[in-house]
Amino acid sequence: MHQIMLSIGFGLVTASILALAGAGLSLQFSITNFVNFAYGDYATLGAYLVLLGIHWHLPFLGAAIASGIAMALLSLLLYRVTFRSFVRRRSQNVTMLIVSIGVSLAVQGVISAIWGSGFQTYQLTAQAPLSIGPFQLTTQQLAVIGVAVVGLLGLHILLRYTTIGKSMRAMSDDKDLAEVSGINTARITDITWLISGLLVGVAGIVLAVNTASFTPLLGNQFLFLIFAGVILGGIGKIYGAMLGALIIGVCTEVAAGFVGSAYADAAAFLLMILILLVRPSGLFTAKGRS
Amino acid sequence: MQYVISLLPLICIYGILVLGLNLQVGLTGILNFTYFTFVAFGAYIAAVLSLGPATSDSGMTYILGAEIPFPLTLLLAGAASAALGALISFAALRRLRSNYLALVTVGAGYVVYTVVGNQTNLFNGWNGLFGVPTPAPQNLNSNGQMLFFTGVCLLFLIVVFVALERLRRSPLGRVIRGIRDDDGVVEAFGRNVFRVRMTVFAVGCFVAGVGGSLLVMYATAFNPQSFLPPETFIMFAAMIIGGVGNNWGSLLGAAVVPVAFAEVTRFLPEFGHAGLVEALRGVAVGVLLIVVLRFMPQGVLRERAPIDRDVREPAVQPAPSGALTGSNHA
Repeated sequence: MHQIMLSIGFGLVTASILALAGAGLSLQFSITNFVNFAYGDYATLGAYLVLLGIHWHLPFLGAAIASGIAMALLSLLLYRVTFRSFVRRRSQNVTMLIVSIGVSLAVQGVISAIWGSGFQTYQLTAQAPLSIGPFQLTTQQLAVIGVAVVGLLGLHILLRYTTIGKSMRAMSDDKDLAEVSGINTARITDITWLISGLLVGVAGIVLAVNTASFTPLLGNQFLFLIFAGVILGGIGKIYGAMLGALIIGVCTEVAAGFVGSAYADAAAFLLMILILLVRPSGLFTAKGRS
Repeated sequence: MQYVISLLPLICIYGILVLGLNLQVGLTGILNFTYFTFVAFGAYIAAVLSLGPATSDSGMTYILGAEIPFPLTLLLAGAASAALGALISFAALRRLRSNYLALVTVGAGYVVYTVVGNQTNLFNGWNGLFGVPTPAPQNLNSNGQMLFFTGVCLLFLIVVFVALERLRRSPLGRVIRGIRDDDGVVEAFGRNVFRVRMTVFAVGCFVAGVGGSLLVMYATAFNPQSFLPPETFIMFAAMIIGGVGNNWGSLLGAAVVPVAFAEVTRFLPEFGHAGLVEALRGVAVGVLLIVVLRFMPQGVLRERAPIDRDVREPAVQPAPSGALTGSNHA
């Protein structure tokens, strides 16, 4: 019982990171309607940009904030340079998928070219775990959860109470209807890329903090866990993505504790496939074809 | 010269692999993002079928070890990949469409990699296998062996090409292209779309397994590092650049793209840190994919537009077709 509570505690940390990235991915999907395979590499890039900040003698927090903002801008830039012309030509989803794979390969290559493919670390001081209820978490892990809560709460407020957020939700419901209602869809799309870039950049940083050492493949592997969470919640459902992330996060850590850490991710995918067999468009969507 | 000869079998093998991918993705529109899983699986099966029984002095642990003679190992490996493909497609193809399907194939491939990599008693885990026998006779010199093996690969390439080209022209070929362009219409004509897609998926995986077997016999060893999932995207690049849905295009792409990317770096001077050239290669593949899709979405060799036999006059505006070129009807 003690062991499983510990695993669930670590699962909450993983889930927080997944939820941040998953909410960003889901937001972007609900507006632009294609899956971005480069998303995991955006997370990696976010983590590596912090190294750049530290190299320039910024304190860790400052470097992290700068990296988050840089990722928001880079995400918009990559959209403008690569994806937008395909969107304008109304390319098929399949084409968009493969374009995003091209972006993914390119971003990964750039990271490896600049920083090398070896392990990197932030050299944060290791801390003794604190006991909080049944869980044992370090301050860093608590900070990860805190960042996720703030980020998701911010997203929630944005979506519910601001004009931009309402426009986003309108666009995700029906893009054409939103456009004829006078919503500047191009501007909202740009803002969506900014926000999803910020979310995934921050997720990459907290992921790197949590895993302690990382390589240019950091986000690549993580991407499919993000997808698993997003799919569980139903693609494009932002709140579903948060809940899906919780399930996947806890599932990986429990599997790591009881089956072996090598099988953690495989267990999550197995769960995803099993759930998709029963509900082909995720847990939180109306029944029907995906 | 020896170097050029050593490339010939690779070109033939990549030809086989890209043809199989083109059947699944280019012709039927099944987004298999884990194609190389089936290549690797076929390679593993062929390796353990042709190796002798595992003994303690070789330091490898693996199943089977049946010492089956050459052409049979290949077919059995293909069948094994097809079986794995059928299993995965049964889960993935039943109710899922493009995005979900692509993600599920990736997830399923990841599960297969995890199990094979960590269960060392199956195929020796991440350490790989070595000493896989080659079908070339031992009494030839190395160039002769390589040329003999090239002949074997070429033979299989021709068989696969003719078979897939005949399939493409057959009524079933029309059905699968119909499924790619609009599966609802095909369903309405009374075809069992799920069954056709599953069959095509299994056939494509069979081809992948055969190609994987040849690949492992070419290298005479199985190094898991050269069978990792990203290889799938090199195959995608070859298929797209050559021409989606066009078997000749697949051959062209296979002859140019993987070999060019793998080998062109050989002639570059080593510069920067170790792995820089490798990283820049990744950037080049990515950028090339995007540029081709942007300016030449049908690839170098286009798929021929379907002919409507009911209309006497040639259609005024040939509708765009193809897995990656049509407009989004959603």
